Amino acid sequence: MNATQLINPFSLFFASIITSNILLANFLGMCSFISISKDMKSSNGLGLAVTVVLTVTTGINWAILNYVLIPLNLEYLRFIVFIISIAAAVQMLEMIIDRVSQALYLSLGIFLPLITVNCAILGVSLFMEIRGYTFVQSLVYGLGSGLGWWLAIMLLSAIRKKTDKSKIAPGLQGPGITVITIGFMAMAFIGFSGMLAVQ
Amino acid sequence: MSSPSAILKENIWTSNPIFMQVLGICSALAVTNLLANTMIMTLGVTFVTALSSFTVSLMKSLIPRKVRMIVQTLIIAFYVIIVDILLRAYLPDMSRALGPYVGLIITNCIIMGRAEAFAQSNPPLISAWDGATSGFGYMAVLLAIAFVRELLGFGTVFGFQVLPGSFEPWIIMVTPPSAFFLLGIIIWAGKTVMNREGAAA
Amino acid sequence: MNKQSLLYTVVFTFVVSFVFVLFLSFANETTRPLVELNRELARQRSILAAMGIPFSSPEEVQQQFSEVEQLTRDEITLFRRQIDGRTVVAKEFVGAGLWGPIEGVLAVTADLERTIGIEIVDQNETPGLGGRITEDWFKDQLRGQRIVDGAVRVGSPGDGDTDPDGGVMDAITGATRTSESMGVILRDELQRLADILNGGNV
Repeated sequence: MNATQLINPFSLFFASIITSNILLANFLGMCSFISISKDMKSSNGLGLAVTVVLTVTTGINWAILNYVLIPLNLEYLRFIVFIISIAAAVQMLEMIIDRVSQALYLSLGIFLPLITVNCAILGVSLFMEIRGYTFVQSLVYGLGSGLGWWLAIMLLSAIRKKTDKSKIAPGLQGPGITVITIGFMAMAFIGFSGMLAVQ
Repeated sequence: MSSPSAILKENIWTSNPIFMQVLGICSALAVTNLLANTMIMTLGVTFVTALSSFTVSLMKSLIPRKVRMIVQTLIIAFYVIIVDILLRAYLPDMSRALGPYVGLIITNCIIMGRAEAFAQSNPPLISAWDGATSGFGYMAVLLAIAFVRELLGFGTVFGFQVLPGSFEPWIIMVTPPSAFFLLGIIIWAGKTVMNREGAAA
Repeated sequence: MNKQSLLYTVVFTFVVSFVFVLFLSFANETTRPLVELNRELARQRSILAAMGIPFSSPEEVQQQFSEVEQLTRDEITLFRRQIDGRTVVAKEFVGAGLWGPIEGVLAVTADLERTIGIEIVDQNETPGLGGRITEDWFKDQLRGQRIVDGAVRVGSPGDGDTDPDGGVMDAITGATRTSESMGVILRDELQRLADILNGGNV
């Protein structure tokens, strides 16, 4: 009934991690990406948190969209509903993690408040809506985008470890060189598109 | 309290949200391959920042502390939906071209940032002005990026052919990495000039 | 009243949400007819553009579109018009792209010798990469492209194949999947058109 359903979840998964990385090709989630990538340990924690939250919220928003908003003809309210459900899901996740494991809370929980305003989370939900994904496709796309974001932030923080110790023109230090580094990473990731062409 | 002109200078230059803080680029960098898209997108951001700052300031004494963030988000989302509805009704082609990026204005850190940092503690009109000027600072940088990308990527400015037909478009300018490179160069130029000003003063 | 009390917080949040939603639904309802009108106009415009019929104003779109014949065959709507002595047939299509559906209109000559043009109505490919299928240089490759063995192939990027008789078009650099999807869509749509047109009665 809908052409999107023909899209293979596997190609969706790999494309969202590599060739069309949510961060490098769609520029989503930049704010926390630049500030947190200074430190590798925090990058890892945030990457994990983004991956978990993306997968969970994309699933929840899919259900809300298909069982509440569309039947009631309220699609124009989707921005408000999605952002509130993301905020609520993040809050819940924080509470659950706090109860379950103190260690996990320290490595993951402290990043959760940063995530509600991460545009990648809302972005993936909005893309899911506009492209009309099925439930499975939504989950795969959410997970893939999260893993892609995680991979990108880990790579960037490793590169920044080096660039922080290099001699750089004063005006370019900090955000300037980071943004240009991201540009090179984006080029490299696009380069994979020929390699993954096998369907 | 600062005067309107001081706020203007600060938001467009000395603490420009983009090159001083690298904030809020997520929602708009993706549409900088064409000037017209960038113009509409940044106008939307300016509109939402100004009005949500105004509204937050107007309602600040009424908002209970516990739900402050969520009410601010509600206010921002409200204005973004208005922008979305207006675009769909009056600029349908633009609405299709921007797609999900209109909705992403909600998570633009500049808007929430101005609401928290300025509108919480200032009267409504000056808050609206602060929001609008932040939007202008943002618009200036993104339009500069879009100008270069469209000129070299398509040979056009706002859709009008300006470079001769023999000009070979730079494909890199159409693809995402060029937006990062141009942003890096703009940050570099801005910071260098600012460092000079600082050294002179 | 205590502004930090639970009751106040709940009532406040509820009232604010209620007022906002009320206003938004009002705005949405008042613009709905306009949005629907725009959608229909955009559809007519795409069909004309695919058939290569020029237009400038919305009135002209409606006037030109009224001269296009609509036929239904096997529950599929086809658009037909005589242009420069040739019969041109257009069909709307939806196919799977890399990220989501690609919707558009494909126009061919009734004898299936050449494609007349393509117009992309809606797509969700990556901006600057697959999203470039909406750009003129990509679409113009299908203006008068010969259909070879019932298909137009999408080759590799930058072959610079400017020969309209070759039946091959350039892919998009960095967007292998989207280019492949376009190839599949073209093959399937041309097949479908061939089934209908060769079955006679058009």
